[in-house]
Amino acid sequence: MVNLGGGGGGGGGQVAVAQIPTSFGHELRACLRCRLVKTYDQFRESGCENCPFFQMEDDHERVVDCTTPNFTGLISVMDPTKSWAARWLRIDEYVLVCIYMRWGALTGKFAPGCYTLAVSEALNPDLQNICEEEHVPYVPPKRV
Amino acid sequence: MVKCAIGREREVAVCLMQKCIDRGPELQIRSAIALDHLKNFIYIEADKEAHVKEAIKGMRNIFTGKIMLVPIKEMTDVLSVESKAIDISRDTWVRLKIGTYKGDLAKVVDVDNVRQRATVKVIPRIDLQALSNKLEGREVPKKKAFTPPARFMNIDEARELHIRVERRRDPATGDYFEKIEGMMFKDGFLYKNVSLKSLSTQNVQPTFDELEKFRQPGETGDGDMSSLSTLFANRKKGHFMKGDRVIVVKGDLRNLKGWVEKVEEDTVHIKPNEKGLPKTLAISDKDLCKYFEPGNHVKVVSGATEGATGMVVSVEGHVVNLVSDTTKELIRVFADNVVESSEVTSGVTKIGDYELHDLVVLDDNSFGVIIRVESEAFQVLKGVPERPDVALARLREIKYKVDKKIFAKDRYKNTLSVKDVVKILDGPCRGKQGPVEHIYKGVLFIYDRHHLEHAGFICVKSESCMMVGGSRANGERNGNSFTSKFSHLRTPPRVPTSSMRPPRGGYGGHNNFGGRGGGRGHDALIGATVKIRLGHYKGCKGRVKDVKGSTVRIELESQMKVVAVDRSHISDNVNVTPSRETSRYGMGSETPMHPSRTPLHPYMTPMRDSGVTPYHDGMRTPMRDRAWNPYTPMSPPRDNWEDGNPGSWGTSPQYQPGSPPSRAYEAPTPGSGWTNTPSNNYNEAGTPRDSGSAYANAPSPYLPSTPGGQPPMTPSSAYLPGTPGGQPMTPGSGGLDMMSPVVGADSEGPWFLPDILVNVRRPGDDTTPGVIREVLPDGSSKIALGSSGNGDVVTALPNEIEVVPPRKLDKIKIMGGAHRGATGKLIGIDGTDGIVKVDDTLDVKILDMVSLAKLVQA
Repeated sequence: MVNLGGGGGGGGGQVAVAQIPTSFGHELRACLRCRLVKTYDQFRESGCENCPFFQMEDDHERVVDCTTPNFTGLISVMDPTKSWAARWLRIDEYVLVCIYMRWGALTGKFAPGCYTLAVSEALNPDLQNICEEEHVPYVPPKRV
Repeated sequence: MVKCAIGREREVAVCLMQKCIDRGPELQIRSAIALDHLKNFIYIEADKEAHVKEAIKGMRNIFTGKIMLVPIKEMTDVLSVESKAIDISRDTWVRLKIGTYKGDLAKVVDVDNVRQRATVKVIPRIDLQALSNKLEGREVPKKKAFTPPARFMNIDEARELHIRVERRRDPATGDYFEKIEGMMFKDGFLYKNVSLKSLSTQNVQPTFDELEKFRQPGETGDGDMSSLSTLFANRKKGHFMKGDRVIVVKGDLRNLKGWVEKVEEDTVHIKPNEKGLPKTLAISDKDLCKYFEPGNHVKVVSGATEGATGMVVSVEGHVVNLVSDTTKELIRVFADNVVESSEVTSGVTKIGDYELHDLVVLDDNSFGVIIRVESEAFQVLKGVPERPDVALARLREIKYKVDKKIFAKDRYKNTLSVKDVVKILDGPCRGKQGPVEHIYKGVLFIYDRHHLEHAGFICVKSESCMMVGGSRANGERNGNSFTSKFSHLRTPPRVPTSSMRPPRGGYGGHNNFGGRGGGRGHDALIGATVKIRLGHYKGCKGRVKDVKGSTVRIELESQMKVVAVDRSHISDNVNVTPSRETSRYGMGSETPMHPSRTPLHPYMTPMRDSGVTPYHDGMRTPMRDRAWNPYTPMSPPRDNWEDGNPGSWGTSPQYQPGSPPSRAYEAPTPGSGWTNTPSNNYNEAGTPRDSGSAYANAPSPYLPSTPGGQPPMTPSSAYLPGTPGGQPMTPGSGGLDMMSPVVGADSEGPWFLPDILVNVRRPGDDTTPGVIREVLPDGSSKIALGSSGNGDVVTALPNEIEVVPPRKLDKIKIMGGAHRGATGKLIGIDGTDGIVKVDDTLDVKILDMVSLAKLVQA
């Protein structure tokens, strides 16, 4: 279970750790819903761990629609449940009623990994509908 | 908060993540945060500092030395992000942040969000020379010492320098571009592909000039408005003040005009002009714009034309067109930069050594008069009589200034000198008249206040003119040929020549004619312009009036005061202020003055040489110079100048021209104007301008020294009427400027009113004062003689009547202008204008002295 000491979930935690970005250039993108940060290629390969319903690994176009390179700040969360910062940024948990299980990772928690503090754009209305269908909370970014 | 290597904040955060995955539960930190805008530091979240220390041990990019605890209050701020994502779209104005075009305005042509790049168009700054050097393999200086100026790219120029130009078709837009060295050009603009990060979109305030440059030649005014409107979306509005007139530009109430009642943070309360609306409306200040009516007098408070004042002629949306007070040309500014004000600025009149209205010779040996001074250059009206030719000259293109006193001959062989009024008989400006401001090489520069071009200057050959009034030798003088106005003006002056003098000089001119001839040693000083080096008046310049032993009496240039200083306290000053004295051409009688002039002193100025007194008037003057002899002394001074041609002058041996245009001489007359000897003045004194030297170059070599200085010489400072170019009024003449046509110009039709004090001059009679009792329809008036109107009543014609100019604190009647017929009190005199307190309204008005007359209560 959750380790004492609150170290990042590691491999044995409930949630599989999300991939961490392998480079820092222009390929870095953030998922518009969960704000997970990975490179474009990584998204294409394995999709978004927190939002599997987007099915980015099937549809390469989806990657571009669901992620954006415009984001501010980077936070590495080792254990979203235990981190105050993660709580503040609402990347600690979400309620998910999974209609169909793709991976075992859909347990209602965000995966430990690298996230961003804020993204620049909001999701498409279509994609927002998908979120609603999946009963996944989506909060559009606050605009000044 | 932990210090880390600069530029590596994200890397560090991710490394920590990786370490955490590897080490598992050992690592006890919860999260690591790298903020974009905070360089050199990252935040690590953990329960204890020891955990942090443990985690960062062994990491290369973190400095273990600096670990700072973040206070609780600040914790949330770390994570709050100001999300100001501005989507850059097409046609937005941006500024480039890096590279050669840093700070330059650019327009977005295409945005590629995927790759975070945008294509912008900017005015090229290409150094074609360096480019061709590089292509040909020649040595190119490593780095340009300066950025090349921004100007449109000319493809042909590039081709001439053998730079390879290719026509390419851009796959994306389908347009044709010219490609040079990988850079794309179209219509003269450079299309650059830059990353979005290098553009700044906030607070981009394009100045009017930049926008104008960007406007394509073919674009109509619409282009301007539309580009302006995008501009206004994020433009900082000017501040609104209570009482400003505004117009609503956005929203449902667009085009509604009103006045500002109250200004709050972001909302402005206005009182609209329309009926049927509530008294005040609250509108966001982004939706409002300042509005001006044509005819308002405004001042520009920001932007490139800051400081200019003028009158609004039209308003186009956000742009206001105004006519500048100083340069009389149309300026376009944004309404936000302008406020209503009654201030009138005089503008810059002088750069370096050259002032407005100076006669200068340019590098290419052409000459002309400076008609406008801009920030770095001058507009010069060239001395080409056939057609007006204006050239823009920079300071360094001006060789020197011309100060010589030169004479010219008009059509009827009258001698013309500076300040004479002439009328133009030929050419496009025929019929205009005005005083001569400069004479050079047979060309006259006349200033006509009513002439709208070139600041009122007209360039004309001297043979195409006819002198109006002035010298005696002229048969035609005044009176008849010229409008009666002149007659008024002219005659009076003539008569009391002596009276003229005093006013002018302001100092009692004693006329020591001739007395000084021999000169004591000190005489050399008299009339010289000196600078006081010691004592209370240290630093002041002045002219020596008298020398007594070791004390010298000096008339200060800056004040109307004569002070006595020790001989040792003064130093001869070679710099004569331009104020020049007005050369006056005396009316014959003045001759006596001449004598005084004679310089006594050869020592005084090197130049002097004999010449000094050229004046010849035969009278006294020593004719010293042989030079003058050619001219018959007898003739009124004017005639002496007969030869007026500047050319001829040059030949006369006598003078040493000595100083070149510069008035280096101390000679009293700056600019040697005086040369004309005081006698000749009848011009208004004090023209700020330098009268041309009478002698072809000789700058007044000698000191006019008239002991006591002839009034004429009085440094213009005494007079200094007013604005350059203005027509100075000789105080002496009762405020009437004889020469200036202006004066006369005011009087049109019967301008006499009853109850004013006048001088009646009948032919054969003396002038007697009288009070106008009645003005008859044919123009003549019934005057009761005597200064209080108790004497006989006579009828006099307008040309026999001369208005007595009022003095300060006199009760006056206003004879011209809008307030004609009103009475008031003259509370002050300012040059040619009088400050009047009108009785009925108790307003204080500034009116021309000409239109004021002394009131005599019945």
